[in-house]
Amino acid sequence: MSQQTERGATVWVAPPRRPGPRRKRRSQAGHRTAWLLTAPAVLTMLAVAAYPVGYALWLSLHRYDLRFPDQRGFVGLGNYAAVLTAPVFWTDLAATAVITAVAVTAEMVLGFVIALTLRRGLAGRRAVHTALLLPYGIITVVAAFAWQYAATPDLSFFSDRAWLGQRWSSFAVVIATEVWKTTPFVALLLLAGLAALPEELLDTAQLDGASGWQRFTRVLLPGIRPVLLVVLLYRTLDSIRVFDTVFIQTRGANGTETLSLLAYDQLASRLNLGLGSAVSVLLFALSAAVALSFVWFFRADLRELSRGGR
Amino acid sequence: MSRFRAVLLAVLCLAPLTACGGGDRGVVLHWYVKEDSSGAYRQAAQRCADSSAGRYRIRVESLPQTTDTQRELLVRRLAARDRTVDIMGMDVIWTAEFAEAGWLRPWTGAQAAQVSAGVLAGPLATARYQGRLWAAPFTSNTELLWYRRSQTPDPPTTWDQLLAQAAALPRGHNEVAVQGGRYEGYTVWVNALLASAGAQLVADADRPDRARAALADAPARQALAVIRRVATSPVAAAGLSVDTEVETETAMLSGRAAFSLNYASLYAAVREQQPAQLADLGWTRYPQVVPGRPSRPPLGGINLGISAYSPHPAQAFDAAACLRSATSQQLAATRGGIPPTISAVYDDPAVVREFPFAALMRLCIEQAAPRPATPAYSDVSLAVQQVLHPPASVNPDRDVPELRRTIDAALASKALL
Amino acid sequence: MRRLGRYAGSLVVLVAAGLPVAWILSLSLKSPATVTDKRLWPSDPTLENYRSIFGSALFTRALVNSVGIGLLSTALAVALATPAAYALTRLSFRGKALVLPLTLAVAVFPPVAIVGPLFDLWRTLRLYDTWPGLVIPYLSFALPLAMWTLTAFFRGLPWELEQAAQADGATPLQAFRRVVVPLARPGVLTAAILVFFFAWNDFVFAISLTSSDRSRTVPAALAFFPGDERIRQPVGSIAAAAVVVTVPVLVAVLVFQRRLVAGLTAGVVKG
Repeated sequence: MSQQTERGATVWVAPPRRPGPRRKRRSQAGHRTAWLLTAPAVLTMLAVAAYPVGYALWLSLHRYDLRFPDQRGFVGLGNYAAVLTAPVFWTDLAATAVITAVAVTAEMVLGFVIALTLRRGLAGRRAVHTALLLPYGIITVVAAFAWQYAATPDLSFFSDRAWLGQRWSSFAVVIATEVWKTTPFVALLLLAGLAALPEELLDTAQLDGASGWQRFTRVLLPGIRPVLLVVLLYRTLDSIRVFDTVFIQTRGANGTETLSLLAYDQLASRLNLGLGSAVSVLLFALSAAVALSFVWFFRADLRELSRGGR
Repeated sequence: MSRFRAVLLAVLCLAPLTACGGGDRGVVLHWYVKEDSSGAYRQAAQRCADSSAGRYRIRVESLPQTTDTQRELLVRRLAARDRTVDIMGMDVIWTAEFAEAGWLRPWTGAQAAQVSAGVLAGPLATARYQGRLWAAPFTSNTELLWYRRSQTPDPPTTWDQLLAQAAALPRGHNEVAVQGGRYEGYTVWVNALLASAGAQLVADADRPDRARAALADAPARQALAVIRRVATSPVAAAGLSVDTEVETETAMLSGRAAFSLNYASLYAAVREQQPAQLADLGWTRYPQVVPGRPSRPPLGGINLGISAYSPHPAQAFDAAACLRSATSQQLAATRGGIPPTISAVYDDPAVVREFPFAALMRLCIEQAAPRPATPAYSDVSLAVQQVLHPPASVNPDRDVPELRRTIDAALASKALL
Repeated sequence: MRRLGRYAGSLVVLVAAGLPVAWILSLSLKSPATVTDKRLWPSDPTLENYRSIFGSALFTRALVNSVGIGLLSTALAVALATPAAYALTRLSFRGKALVLPLTLAVAVFPPVAIVGPLFDLWRTLRLYDTWPGLVIPYLSFALPLAMWTLTAFFRGLPWELEQAAQADGATPLQAFRRVVVPLARPGVLTAAILVFFFAWNDFVFAISLTSSDRSRTVPAALAFFPGDERIRQPVGSIAAAAVVVTVPVLVAVLVFQRRLVAGLTAGVVKG
């Protein structure tokens, strides 16, 4: 989803460390200044994110339903047991996985194609860039409505089908919206990655008489691999929390309910903060697990990236 | 702490449109109620304030149109102990939940007797829970089967006849429009079918310690089989699994549907948008599931409850009693097309002029089936939607036991839904 | 031939990116009578929908809330992140290595994970359905975003100039004000725009932590349009509101296009 979508576009791309400005000011006073400058931001982040996450953990271990205030109490892992034994949790996990797998794959492929095309130069570069930034900047809820109306038989300019009336076509609409909204972002990042590749690399390959395909698989792909991985991870984490599009287009009907929606329903409409927090914590753990395993598997690539290149 | 509060309050007051500081003429009561575009509610509020001799004024705070969102917004306010909620226009299904959570002040003594007088039994029962009156019945509603007289000279009385008659009509104009979307409207349909077949969702609903899924086997299967037949029939709306009252009304207006199960508002919509078609619009009672067994139509409507956190309960009770009076209900009916809860108002000539179907409406409301009055109702409704949605996937043999199991879990309000 | 290909490529991107936007614009110009005509272009364009939404408090208040809450969050995030990013780039101190990973961790979590705790806190602190009640959670994504964009930007600046100024006898503070501030301005602006986009876009917090016109933002209000009787015709009104809230995005994209691309991709490009 894109609500939090491109949140921290640069987040995953560690800025390179330059040796130059590092050595300065190691005095005590410098220390204090540095902390004075950094502390407000760090403390705010801890207060607005870490504290609520800790609180969510606490809530998830309690029966805490605002509609039954008298029944409040510690239940240990009871909420987790209720969540993990409910078929709906697994259905929603599957729906989330389907949306993530298909949408992210499509975004990566399309984004890469667009980036390659852009690199070779397109007519009206400025217009193209504007066109790419528009889906990125547009409100996700707006994008969701636009695609929903295009998929509604009484309104649509191209289709008589009730796309949102069946399961798989509902998925198609949700995924198409996600892909439309986020592919430009993927393309721009990959384009930046391509631009950072040294020209000589390709030139040499060309002199060696490598075919286009070989140049792609042997030179281009390995060269851009670290950036590709970072974008992939970023989009995967983003897609795991997909909410806006599904909420607007189907409200979870026809088997399209995602984990974020499930958590929202327990929290916001049932006011069962204990149960809802258990879902939230599991969703959080899932994101963390994906992130950590990614970092572990591709540690070499990521190290290369954070070293700032070749 | 008090300093913190003061600063906070200052910040809130800076936010635009936040009302800080009260009026000097009586208290301002906030009445949260579903938006009514006709202005009938506002007019009633004005009339009551005028007759209060300056004791109170009423500010109408509009809630969205669907009951699910209305409830979400109100319930969160109540859980936050919001002191700006005084009177609530409560959907008839919320009484038990709100009462059990301690969010309502009960009606007692003379005032309770006053707001119960002359009220139809069905709507009155929805305002009661565990022997006490928690709200004043204000408006009511039920669904009728709407059709076109020119197309359907002899309207159906059972679901099977309904499907057969629709199938005989030309394609493109023969849909049966019913609320199959995944929201409260779907539970309304399911509950009406179950009740019409002689089954019940929950037994001992108002005894949280004893409440359990009922669902007598044979009638429950018969009821669910109707959903399946409708959803898999060629006359089912293409968007059945996402349709709400809005779509099912539009389907009738656009001519796509031959039949629509809908509230009284459909009549008003046709009169407003296609006045030429009004004479052709027919209505009849909700169809039967078992031929010969009278149907139990859905029961909707709004009761007026007083928030436990209201700082002005005395004025709020007076105002609510005035708002539910026969005069206000007559106004809501004639100006807003909203059916009353007081029986006598249906005989008012002005109301009959507004609702040519007033007598049928009252009869249907009297015989309607309420949804279970359990404090876990919203969970039960989610359970129904979870097991039985989408409509085309309903399989009576598999789903009746499944529904029983899920409802039992929902009644404990500890299950994931 | 190749030239033709370049034009064709551009055309495909333009149409793919622009069609849904054009479609919602077209819907916003249709009247209730023609909204179901299923045409891509409105046959009889009207501004009726725009009049309807600007006449409805549901929308106008939401617009005020969106702008106000967005600007407040942006200002706070940038004000907190700029000094931190400066320190992270220019100074060395114990614990520095932990700051950016922390930022990263904060950026990863799903927003719905903190909706429950925030609701419970807000109801006791009376922040539910208020501006601060949204601004505070917005910082959870605005701050990491601002810090990363700014850190990446600062690392690319020619810091030698600051040193040169100090060598010329300027005090560190003077050097900061005369040299660093002007250099940093474009980066701060870019970070601010990106942060504003996010706050403007938020939906999860907006529907969970508000319940009235008092603080409801446009995305949340849009979700309540269907069936709201103040909104005469939901499809056209939603479309019109969608167009209205897309205009600022379009303007920002047109004016700051190059900077936005650079800001988005800062970390990669500077590699």
